[in-house]
Amino acid sequence: MSLLDAARNQFYRIKQLEGPADECRRLLDLGLTPGEEMAVVQSVPFGDPLVVVVRGMRLALRRREAAWIRVE
Amino acid sequence: MKRQSVNAAAADAEPAAQPSFLPASEPALRSLTLCLAGVPNAGKTALMNGLTGGSFHTANYPGATVTLSRGKSRTELGPPATIVDLPGVHSTAATSPEETLSCEVIEGRHPSITPDALIIVVDATQLERHLKFASYVARQGKPFVIALTMIDLLAQSGQSINTTKLAAALGVAVVAVDGRTGWGVEELMNELRRTVSNPFNDHNVLATLDDDPVAAYREIGRLLEQSEARRRGRALQLAAETFTSRLDRIVLHRWLGFPIFFLILGTLFASIFWAAQPFMHLIDWGFKGLGQLVLEVLPEGIVSRFIAEGVLGGVGAVAVFFPQIIILFFLMTLLEDSGYLSRGAALVDKPLSYLGLHGRSFVPMLSGYACAIPAVLAARTIPSRRERLLTIWILPLMSCSARLPVYALLLAALLPGAAGKAGLALATIYVASLLTGALTAGLISRFLMPRKSNSMLAMELPLYRKPLLAPTLRITWSRASAYLRKAGTPIIVISTILWLLSNFGFGARQADLAEREHPPLIASSDLDHSFAGQVGQAMEPVLQPMGVDWRVGVGLISAFAAREVFVSTMAIVFHVADDEDSRQQGLLENMRAATFTGSDRRVFTASSMIGLIVFFFISLQCLSTVAVVRSETGSWRFAVLQLLFYSGLGYALASATVQILRLFGVQ
Repeated sequence: MSLLDAARNQFYRIKQLEGPADECRRLLDLGLTPGEEMAVVQSVPFGDPLVVVVRGMRLALRRREAAWIRVE
Repeated sequence: MKRQSVNAAAADAEPAAQPSFLPASEPALRSLTLCLAGVPNAGKTALMNGLTGGSFHTANYPGATVTLSRGKSRTELGPPATIVDLPGVHSTAATSPEETLSCEVIEGRHPSITPDALIIVVDATQLERHLKFASYVARQGKPFVIALTMIDLLAQSGQSINTTKLAAALGVAVVAVDGRTGWGVEELMNELRRTVSNPFNDHNVLATLDDDPVAAYREIGRLLEQSEARRRGRALQLAAETFTSRLDRIVLHRWLGFPIFFLILGTLFASIFWAAQPFMHLIDWGFKGLGQLVLEVLPEGIVSRFIAEGVLGGVGAVAVFFPQIIILFFLMTLLEDSGYLSRGAALVDKPLSYLGLHGRSFVPMLSGYACAIPAVLAARTIPSRRERLLTIWILPLMSCSARLPVYALLLAALLPGAAGKAGLALATIYVASLLTGALTAGLISRFLMPRKSNSMLAMELPLYRKPLLAPTLRITWSRASAYLRKAGTPIIVISTILWLLSNFGFGARQADLAEREHPPLIASSDLDHSFAGQVGQAMEPVLQPMGVDWRVGVGLISAFAAREVFVSTMAIVFHVADDEDSRQQGLLENMRAATFTGSDRRVFTASSMIGLIVFFFISLQCLSTVAVVRSETGSWRFAVLQLLFYSGLGYALASATVQILRLFGVQ
């Protein structure tokens, strides 16, 4: 499933990234690599971006970016 | 063979420090050049401060459009070394000019910046990501030492690190530092000297890591695990109960998020305007007094007037905004260090991206309300070039503080005796400038610069931490003095040139002025025949639609040095006796009484004053901004186009306003 469907504050394992190659490479560079665990912890007032936790760091991800992340 | 200019020059400069029995290339004893490199937010600026004691300045390197911070290491840290702070690198597939420059230096491809060693700044709370960058640097073969920062935040992120084990696992030197307090900095310098004199290291595991992120992260993870260099608690990784996550739940809360955001911005604005007021008055008073003193002490004549009005006037025009700039930079540094600034950017990302801007555009737009120049510099952090240019494009619309004296004068003349109404009008102008900026960005993004692809946010939200006063003040000072050099020089040069233009002209007027016993301080007959006066008179037909005469035209031209110069020019062209108390009153009365030459038609009518406000609202009357936009975008075309666009649009809208108002019977 996509990270967008993930329950809040629940850790999921990243399966793969499905999106534009350059932009997915940036996410990989940031440490969102398959096998790593991540969670959506909250969203900001407009519901976008989302705040995610991965590798002990907090990231603001737009929903568009989160949609590329397949988790399980 | 590439090791030349910087090093060579530094070595030549200090031959005495070099014992004769050592070969000239012995690196440990000549002045070293060290570069700080890292991922953005790694804590480079703080470490730069710790290493140099805050005494660094921005330097332009040949062939680079980017300015870098450069400084000398503190004397307590042994023989002085030159420290260069390279811009943070998001991705080694560099796209922005800053990142490209950093990569060139790290890969040894840069012609003039050739460091002896690199300091890789690594955020201890995010080891994997930062070590991945370090592995890229390690592969380039230059000697380096890892400076581990943010140690104080490790506990909050639920981790602990053993630097000895980490150094052993990576095969490179690792030194824990806190740039803000200077802790560990001395050890870092010692380690750097050791590395430079003995750079060959067979056990450099970092250099053997894969370039592919997935493989690199896997290997780094394995290294950290096997060596037991880091311990992290899984429960804390959940980040549910840390200070940062609790604060984020409030600060980014669905209903509280924006009220808090506006409260913080409101406080910031209030401080910029009200807290700075007394200091601005003091500086203004000081420069006026100094000018007066020059006029009294020096023999009367063109030289003393040049110093008093041209030079001191120009310096004063810059200095008067310095308190606001310092307060702005101080509060921005506080917000940045505390971690709030990136939350603010996340909050407004959605509305701004709808306008074709980026969440990070918010910091420059905010600064734009104090001054467009630091705002243009702040736009550097916007990752995509398109969004950076669009942000810079709308920055001149933000109602900068140089417009304030102009609005104050015009509103006082327009609404005599109605301070409340004038205040309301001013507030409307400020809000309207934000809306106009948003509209302009939206229109341009929709029709003129359609986006080819969406940009990315993927922005790190650093852990909240309490800012320390001393380092914040040091960073504020270095930013503010950089601003002063960058903005001050053109303002002083331009206002000096404008002074000369409005005091000299063809013809013999200057000579017969000198013959008079006591030439008046400012003779308007002089202005009539000056270059500026001539241009103003030649411009008169152009000014017709705006409903003003050539004297206002001179004011509009002089305002290109800095907008607030308009007020002092108005005082000159409408002859105001230089009597401190009644100055503003006198100017207002003179303006009200002023008529077009050879008629009794008034110059300042309701329509022409509203027209002038519209003109100042839109027009880019600040050549310093043009110069900074040029240097930041690297494009004269962009800067000149922006100047012509806003000044043309301002003129057209002002003229249209005046004509429409007249059509409806408003004179």
